[in-house]
Amino acid sequence: MQKEMVHLPKSFLGFLPLYAGVELGLGISILNKCSGFYGILALFTGHQLDFMQWVFYLFSAFTLVVYSIGLRQVNKPNLLSFSLVLVIFTLDTALTCFFTVWFSAAWFSAEAQEFTDPKSTTIQSAGAAIGPGKELNPRGKTLESQSASQSYEFFFTILFTVITLVARFYFNFIMVAFVQRLLRHPKYMVDQDDVEQNLKNRSFFQRWWIKSEKSCYKFCRRYLA
Amino acid sequence: MSELFKKWFLSKRPAGSRVANLETSFDVNITLRKLKRYRPAVSDLCHYGFLGSVLLFVFIVNPLPWIFKIALYFFVGTLFMLPATSQFFFNALPILTWLALYFTSSSFSVDYRPPITVQVLPAIETILYGDNLSDILATSENKAMDLIFWLPYGIFHFGAPFVVAAILFLCGPPTILRGYAFAFGYMNLFGVMMQNLFPAAPPWYKNLYGLSPANYSMKGSPGGLARIDEYFGINLYTSGFSNSAVIFGAFPSLHSGCATMEALFFSYVFPKLRPLFIFYVCWLWWSTMYLTHHYFVDLMAGSVLSYVIFQYTKIFHLPVADGSMYSRWGYGEVVKFNLYQADPLSVSPNDIESLQAPLTLETDFELNSMNNSASPSIFDNSRSVSRSSGTSNTSLDIQEEVFSSPRLNNKQRID
Repeated sequence: MQKEMVHLPKSFLGFLPLYAGVELGLGISILNKCSGFYGILALFTGHQLDFMQWVFYLFSAFTLVVYSIGLRQVNKPNLLSFSLVLVIFTLDTALTCFFTVWFSAAWFSAEAQEFTDPKSTTIQSAGAAIGPGKELNPRGKTLESQSASQSYEFFFTILFTVITLVARFYFNFIMVAFVQRLLRHPKYMVDQDDVEQNLKNRSFFQRWWIKSEKSCYKFCRRYLA
Repeated sequence: MSELFKKWFLSKRPAGSRVANLETSFDVNITLRKLKRYRPAVSDLCHYGFLGSVLLFVFIVNPLPWIFKIALYFFVGTLFMLPATSQFFFNALPILTWLALYFTSSSFSVDYRPPITVQVLPAIETILYGDNLSDILATSENKAMDLIFWLPYGIFHFGAPFVVAAILFLCGPPTILRGYAFAFGYMNLFGVMMQNLFPAAPPWYKNLYGLSPANYSMKGSPGGLARIDEYFGINLYTSGFSNSAVIFGAFPSLHSGCATMEALFFSYVFPKLRPLFIFYVCWLWWSTMYLTHHYFVDLMAGSVLSYVIFQYTKIFHLPVADGSMYSRWGYGEVVKFNLYQADPLSVSPNDIESLQAPLTLETDFELNSMNNSASPSIFDNSRSVSRSSGTSNTSLDIQEEVFSSPRLNNKQRID
């Protein structure tokens, strides 16, 4: 494991300190995770959520809270909570890949229906009519040539999806590098007292939180330190 | 009025402080002298080179008669030359460039425009956010909601940038307004460029035409704002949006970008009110979707663009805000953000190794003076011990202990 981690980024984009990347990555993730609340809000309009959407939105709302805690302390990091943020972020990256594939399937099947459903406002079989292979016109000469072809639409859909995933992975590596540095930095050493504190008088949530922090810290120390 | 102004603002000014002062001269020579002394950095060259080429492009492409264009550029050039006006207008160059490009956008020839995408945005929205969020949030309509969501989208959005600028100018640290103009201008400029390079149909298009192909002869639509026009018996939004400069400019949402930028700057100066600013952004997001003007992914693109540019501006341009000051006149000096000092990892871990050996005088002195400017005394012992018993031992503490109390060198550290 140690050997694979040698190539972690040493700086963000090659010229900024790692914490700037962490701040940016967490901030962008927080903005995107707001989708969780809007997804759940959709219930008020009478819209039904399927199981996968429930999982996705609730998880988004949960990660939003975790990332906000991380973002607040980027300049004065606490190793325990940052270990938790890192583990959740990594888990989130994995789940994002899965959900991307899942919802892509949902969209493309819905889209196919849109083009064949006589009740939809879409001009029927529009997709086929503007596909490539028909006579080529200089751009803008005819009204049809001003709209994107089916392959153009598809290309950009895939391009945007891939860009977001690549950015996500990059920020994930920045986070890993940051937490690794924290683990190796004497300033952020975790005292044994911090790990073994008495939790009897804490609320359920706090106990759960501290316990998860601890196990995430141990996990990170095992693989990164 | 001036009494109140003196009492509230000027009375807090540190003696001899001039950082908050403004230029009042109209002497062109001052600007010329400054220009002679000016040695541009690489970042300045990029900044002016980029904005200059956009302005040149606008100058050539804009369909106004040449005489008007020349007169306009000459007028702006004069504003730049007079010290009293240039301190505002010159720093607003990114904003002026954005406005110039935006109002030229409608005149681009159809021959050069990229094809309009109709399916990409709803597709991305479903793929990244699990559902057509914007579509769903626009399904149930009623009059109360129309009005609630019209406010941020149709009213506040247009006034807020000015209000924010005025408040930042008065209550923020000096030079923050420059940073705001830079960030706000670039965000909108990049946004308009993206909207032109990647034309995409907004949700109202999907409601009207489904996923059918779009073309540039189509008129824009006010979406949900048509109902507002109906309530008030006016034609403001219908005519405005039908002839919008960028009809297929759904991506990114500059409504969202502006709101986020305003919220970020306000949170920077008034951190305690942050929840209020977050609420405003969420409210505006909801209203853009409710009024069928943007997909959720556009909102994210606008906000992310804002956030990235804000972070850049914060690192390289913004003065540090002091929470205890409530006006620009309270500041004695303008301190810029130091990227490396703020780095939590800035002290290299190797320092701990060299601690036991005598430190070089320079580093030692510097680190010591950062934390404690008083000279070491015998009373330092007890204080150092109590500090080191805290749960997190910072290496700064350790260094100080070494300096101030050699006796502690023998103390065994847990870490």
